Amino acid sequence: MAIDTDTIRHLSEASVSVELQTEDMTLNIGPQHPSTHGVLRLVARVDGERCFDVQPVIGYMHRGYEKLSEVRTYPQITTIVNRIDWVSGYANEVPFIVAAEKLMEVEVPERAQYIRLILTEMARMCSHLIFMASYPLELGAATPLFFALRERERVLDLLESVTGGRFHPNFNRIGGVKPAYGSGSSTRKLVQDLPAGFFRQTREAMDRVREVCVELEDLVAGNEIILARTKGIGVLPPEVAAAFGVSGPNLRASGVRFDLRRAENYLPYDRFEFDVITGTAGDCWDRWWVRLQEIRESARIVQQAVDGIPSGPLQAKVPKVIKVPKGETYVRAENPKGEMGYYLVSDGGSGPYRLKIRSASFSNISILPWILEGTLVPDIIAIMGSLDFVLGDVDR
Amino acid sequence: MTSSQSESTVHPLQELADTVAEAVGGSFEITFDTIKVRVSLDSWVQAHITARDRLDLVFFSWLSAIDWSNQVEAGDPLREEVEERFELLTTVADVTEGRRVTFSTDLPKDSPRAPSLVSVYAGANWHEREAHEMFGIDFDGHPNPVHLYLPESFIGNPLRKSFPLLSREVKPWPGTVDVEAMPNQEGAEEPSTENPEA
Repeated sequence: MAIDTDTIRHLSEASVSVELQTEDMTLNIGPQHPSTHGVLRLVARVDGERCFDVQPVIGYMHRGYEKLSEVRTYPQITTIVNRIDWVSGYANEVPFIVAAEKLMEVEVPERAQYIRLILTEMARMCSHLIFMASYPLELGAATPLFFALRERERVLDLLESVTGGRFHPNFNRIGGVKPAYGSGSSTRKLVQDLPAGFFRQTREAMDRVREVCVELEDLVAGNEIILARTKGIGVLPPEVAAAFGVSGPNLRASGVRFDLRRAENYLPYDRFEFDVITGTAGDCWDRWWVRLQEIRESARIVQQAVDGIPSGPLQAKVPKVIKVPKGETYVRAENPKGEMGYYLVSDGGSGPYRLKIRSASFSNISILPWILEGTLVPDIIAIMGSLDFVLGDVDR
Repeated sequence: MTSSQSESTVHPLQELADTVAEAVGGSFEITFDTIKVRVSLDSWVQAHITARDRLDLVFFSWLSAIDWSNQVEAGDPLREEVEERFELLTTVADVTEGRRVTFSTDLPKDSPRAPSLVSVYAGANWHEREAHEMFGIDFDGHPNPVHLYLPESFIGNPLRKSFPLLSREVKPWPGTVDVEAMPNQEGAEEPSTENPEA
């Protein structure tokens, strides 16, 4: 049936004269949602498909580590700081131990520092590979998960072979790292070293990690749907990011060439060649891309460290009962999620008087109300996922 | 290394500390590679504006407090008497060279109040909410002074030293009651195979 032009004009006028009645709606996302990596609730006020006020509700995982630290001794605290950001547990220990060592003025043997550095970079790879697995999944692409988790498992096996733990190694000691295999009353001799074959396996694993980066890039970077959902979405200008304390890959994706591995001296990163990766647009896509490149750079650092590791003891001489002299210091480190730091106040006892834990994800998600203002509802997940937070790291 | 101990050699952070302390009008100390600039409460906000605009410390790292208290309900008491107060701390940094400065000011024990920094650094918002619920510090001018982690009905300020840790009150820490000697040590008993309840 043909419609004459008068009818068309009538219909078009009718459609513009109708005033749509809209009503704000409150949308609850979470506390349980696959993209929240823990328990996070978002209360979003939406008008149709646009949200104009998003308030994150946190605290579901608050365990009170700052209070618990005040009733524990220094060696006991490494156990709980492991559990702050549980996808890179090892990396959480390092700045705390370095802070305590700084107050005690302990010089850590070089071999122990190299082992710390290797394991920290492995933790970074694990954390970023989890992101490589989960972020495309949140956008609807399941395949990258299998590639990323396969290689992460390989890296975790290496971590486990050294420390005995996959997620919570609890491997650092004040003055060095834990005496490894072969200790015990039967041998009377501590064999303080890495397991046999560790270096060979590490080299192999690093090659595989680099290969999987190529595979992931092929899978994701060529996917038009992912590009459409991430390019230009969730743009974070560098000055806003800095004012909110957003750090790590999220800050670098906005084009800020700043990396605490270069700026601070908590581990001997100055001996290694690696690039500080930055994005240009500061959108979701750049945050994905920066992390992928950082996996490659981490593999590069680990290879250099494995090639150049000096021999020597794993432990400096420290008293049997650890007492940290009076003092205050702030030590921060470039963790996979961003700046992780500990403000340690000691009064000379066996436990801290106060330990302020500055965790990266806390500041990283405080940007959510700002960045989600005026976005479409489906983009909430795309943006939230791209910030790569872990709720244990938010709530502490 | 503190600044007083190293008068002969200039600490690498000395220049930055001098600049910041002069710009914001405060005193400073360098403790273990950390510059701590003490400012008065009146110049708290102005010091941060100066740090952000003149010294390019645009990155807001964190804000928190220390409860200096001679009476503690949880943890070990201080070895030396201190002046009872809350110490409010922030750390701000740049995103180019890695310079960072910790600002500090004192708040009275009864009715601790401080002006909010949210208008200077947007990131202070959540940190101040946390300090508000954990230490009971009020921040004047905060846009949303509600609890962050804890439910609104929660009574008390958990990170105050006067707040007991309930799990320790009801059950002693295993480490303090576990006084058995280690194996192979003098006084160690052979582990018993008998069931003590039989």
